[in-house]
Amino acid sequence: MSYQPGSRVRVRAGDPDHHTRVPRYVRGHTGEVVAVLGHWTLPDDSARGITPPRTEACYAVRFSAAELWGSGDHTVTVDLWESYLDRP
Amino acid sequence: MGGQAGFGPVPAGEDGGVPFAADWEAHVYALAKMLRRRGVVNDDELRDAIERLPPQQYLAASYYERWLGALELLVAEKGLI
Repeated sequence: MSYQPGSRVRVRAGDPDHHTRVPRYVRGHTGEVVAVLGHWTLPDDSARGITPPRTEACYAVRFSAAELWGSGDHTVTVDLWESYLDRP
Repeated sequence: MGGQAGFGPVPAGEDGGVPFAADWEAHVYALAKMLRRRGVVNDDELRDAIERLPPQQYLAASYYERWLGALELLVAEKGLI
């Protein structure tokens, strides 16, 4: 696993032509890892019947609403797999 | 819905309340869980199938209508019916 709580990460901005668990509203945005959730099968693979699906570390990543939508004082935390993320 | 504005609040029942608005919703839920337990579908295939519903159907459907539409799509694609 590449990231630890406190790591800053940027979500990859691509728009794959298959199912993915990356919400569009976080693509290209920067957040902070707040928890490492262990290793889980990659939904992009299992949704397409790829066997065995890849297994990757999954992280809870917190974003500020202002980062995502330009305003707001709250935060949004999204579970994101390793390959969805890059260092900022 | 999907992080998009303009769809209003997401209705959420009280904790401990009845999770289904009608019996047929419970039947759809049970059908999905049975198909998963038997290895016919997995959760990611179900989510994918919901996203592949025709936009007009998706936008007009309730939560469990989307589940049902996705299950119909998957069992047809897998040649089970």
